[in-house]
Amino acid sequence: MSGDKSEILQGTLDLMVLKTLDAMGPLHGYGIARRIEQVSDDALQVNQGTIYLCLVRLVEKGWAKAQWGASENNRKAKFYAITKSGRKQLAREAENWGRVAGAIGRLLRLASGR
Amino acid sequence: MSFTAARVIASRVRAFFKTASLDDDFHKELEEHLELLTADNMKAGMSPEEARRAALLRLGGIELNKERHREARSFPRLDALLQDLRCEVRVLRRNPAFTAAGVLTMALGIGANTAIFSVVNAVLLRPLPYPDSQRLVTMKANQSLLDMQDIAGWTHSYEAAGGVTYQRLDFSGGTEPVQIDAALINAGLFRALGVMPAIGRPIAPEEDRFGGPRVVILSDGFWRQYFDASAGILGRAITLGGNSYTVIGVMPSGFAIPQTRADVLASLRVVYPEGAGYRGVHFLRTWWRLKQSVTLAQAQAELEPLDRRLASLYPAENLDRHTVLVPAREWLAGKSRPALLMLLAAVSMLLLVACANYAGLLLARAIERQQEIGMRVALGASRSRIVAQMLTESLLLSLLGGLAGLALAAAGVRWLMRLKPDSLDQISGVRTDVRVLLFALAVALICGIIFGLVPAWGAMKSFAGHSTAVTASRLTATRAGQRLRNVLVVAQLALALVLLTGAGLLIKGLWRLHSVDPGFRPENLLTMFIQLPPSRYSGIPAQTRFRRDLLANMNAVPGIQAAMISELPLSGEWLFHSFVLEGRAPVPKGSEPEVQARSIMGDYFRTMRIPLRAGRDFTDGDREGAPLAAVVNETFSRTYFPNRSPIGARFRWAREEGPPHWFTIVGVVGDVRHFALEQADEPAVYMSYAQSLQEWKRWMYIVVRSRGNIAALAPLMKRAVWKADALVPVTHLRPMPDIMRASTSQRRFNMLLLGIFAAVALALAAVGIYGVISYAVTQRTQEFGIRMALGAGRTHMMRIVLGHGTALLSCGLAVGLLASLGLTRLMSGLLFGVTSQDPATLATVTTVLALVALLASYLPARRAMNADPTRALRYQ
Repeated sequence: MSGDKSEILQGTLDLMVLKTLDAMGPLHGYGIARRIEQVSDDALQVNQGTIYLCLVRLVEKGWAKAQWGASENNRKAKFYAITKSGRKQLAREAENWGRVAGAIGRLLRLASGR
Repeated sequence: MSFTAARVIASRVRAFFKTASLDDDFHKELEEHLELLTADNMKAGMSPEEARRAALLRLGGIELNKERHREARSFPRLDALLQDLRCEVRVLRRNPAFTAAGVLTMALGIGANTAIFSVVNAVLLRPLPYPDSQRLVTMKANQSLLDMQDIAGWTHSYEAAGGVTYQRLDFSGGTEPVQIDAALINAGLFRALGVMPAIGRPIAPEEDRFGGPRVVILSDGFWRQYFDASAGILGRAITLGGNSYTVIGVMPSGFAIPQTRADVLASLRVVYPEGAGYRGVHFLRTWWRLKQSVTLAQAQAELEPLDRRLASLYPAENLDRHTVLVPAREWLAGKSRPALLMLLAAVSMLLLVACANYAGLLLARAIERQQEIGMRVALGASRSRIVAQMLTESLLLSLLGGLAGLALAAAGVRWLMRLKPDSLDQISGVRTDVRVLLFALAVALICGIIFGLVPAWGAMKSFAGHSTAVTASRLTATRAGQRLRNVLVVAQLALALVLLTGAGLLIKGLWRLHSVDPGFRPENLLTMFIQLPPSRYSGIPAQTRFRRDLLANMNAVPGIQAAMISELPLSGEWLFHSFVLEGRAPVPKGSEPEVQARSIMGDYFRTMRIPLRAGRDFTDGDREGAPLAAVVNETFSRTYFPNRSPIGARFRWAREEGPPHWFTIVGVVGDVRHFALEQADEPAVYMSYAQSLQEWKRWMYIVVRSRGNIAALAPLMKRAVWKADALVPVTHLRPMPDIMRASTSQRRFNMLLLGIFAAVALALAAVGIYGVISYAVTQRTQEFGIRMALGAGRTHMMRIVLGHGTALLSCGLAVGLLASLGLTRLMSGLLFGVTSQDPATLATVTTVLALVALLASYLPARRAMNADPTRALRYQ
């Protein structure tokens, strides 16, 4: 949880995972990774291992919960689902993200206008 | 937000304790992930192996993921620490000799320190068992009740003032007549000490007056021993010293008046009005409770004009007053303070010696492990991680050592308390409290860190630059480590020398003290104490009759010679009077010289074997009605009659009412060591009890010389006393040699402890030098093999090895001698008959240390000498 770069990345990844879980319902780690890659048209290639670190954070903060279930090839897999406080956090973070993104966009336009 | 934080911590703690099962869970999760990813890759057209490899790449390594997962869900540092700990415990278990050596070394150092600290804590640090005890002060000099009362009335610094003296009183409530210790106090003492009776009430101010009601307060111990802790004790009458007293209270258990044994507390004015009403008897230890806002300096400043005032009002009793206030704590630590500080310093040095060994041990191990460490550095282990691991090892060892040390200290304290000198008598509460525990923990941690870092630093230094050159670095590491170990050994030898010198000086002093001639022959002397009750022995004739009967009864026993004296040498008791010599220039009232006044009866000088130097001994003619005779000691004669004989001269007591009573000096006897073996006698006069003018001197020590076993004599002598008066208690039955031993107990205590510390330090230093030399020999085995193969003789080998030892020894001795000369000067107050630079002692201890060190380096040298060259050559 140190270093500016990973912090931004981490926060971003948390947001993406939460949104994915919100939209798709319970998913296992691989499913989340695949979904993020698909949605971003493979523009965001995450190291899939880091998904799990992100999931640990979300679970221990109570934003997601984990449950064992059966995967598509009918084997035991851990499924993650967003919780109520996770949805609240998602809403907060999404709004925050929008504000920051808008601000950065404006800043960049302004800079290029000169 | 903080709710979330708490949740995170809870979750991590949970995870920390479920590491294994969570690892397992995650492993399954990852496996499943890999399966799915591999399957997708295969759908995309890869071969199974290719698909699996690509999947692993995407995921980023199973083990790495697991490690990071573990870090993310738990406490990463703690995890590493635990891993180190687990690893170290394994390592330590596998090397029992190393572990035992490390733990034992630290246990010795920490144990000895903790034991001494427990005593220091109890004597010097822990607050006294009185509320707000930092406000409790005392006056250096004793006071009379009237002076104390005046000072209390004239000052504004104190909340309360209490004075205490003690007297032994007969108590006839038990199976045989006993004497109990009565604290004679004023009513203010309760408020001054801040302790009230647990049952009943304190002595009221209106009861504390001349001729007041006879009331008494019992100590908890006395109440339990004689009254079975009966709740109905209040209001009961008990007989003390022939008078009936009403019990009005019982003090709480654990209560003690400082420096006073007290079975009962009673008003001084009621019990001993003669003493209470006389300004000249400065016999009260006074305790003053400062007001909340008043400092010691303010109270002291207030006293100065009062001293002058008292002196001008009562010059006969109070000339040259200089009252000094002392905090109670400081006063009580008093005599034992310098000794304790010396012991604390000594035991710290012992700890340093132990730590040097400890560091040497770790260093040797670090060098042994350098191949492993080099490998780990090569594999990418971070430097901090390796240092952390070595620190873990050191801390683990030192904490184990600390734990063992605590056990050692507990045993040590019990032992110390058994042989504690009288000056530590007041200190009962030596125990392992939180402060002692923290002390031991702190010592263990600090030693563990500092002396764990030394080898870690040494090891890291050797890997600087070339972490992969494992074998190449071996020599460098060895050399750096060896240099460090040499320094450690020199320090050890120097410290051991300082301790040995200190112990040597104390031993020599004690030996000198034991060869001091006390002025009498203590062997085969039994002593006892008797105090006559005032109710039946108020007049001199009755007392003299008892004394004569008693001595006649005792001397009737064959082989027995019995006599008596009012103040026995080395008993700690003395009595002095101011006196006036006839025909000398008059001195102002109050500044007359003082002399020790001792009353005797029977053939005292012959019984004690005190030689008669001039004139004559007392005879039967020196009796009631005859001219008053006195025998003086040599110091008196020397002081007041230099170059001429005092025989025939006359003196009288300076404070005497009525017509003067002149004593004629009839003889001179040898000096005795009355106050202590190390202290010369003061001018003293001996008078005959038969001619006593002081009916209050109702006490006496009986000295009995026998040719046979004096221990068997005790019941016989008691019977002889009880034949004269069946109700008189006989106390303090002690052989004279015991009294002499007790008088040197503080010195023996110091010597014994310092001797033990020095011996342990010597042993540790020997182990240290042995370790270094034998390690050096091992390292140079190959070299020695080559030299021998080339024809070097065995003696030559020997010389090389011993040369190393001698070099270390010389450095150690040089540093140690300098340090000794400086440090032992601090203990000159504790020495007797030797200076701190006593050349004989220094020479002896230096020789002892040199011999031990040479022996310790000879053993490995012999090993080198006897090495087989062919095997040595092959040695790796």
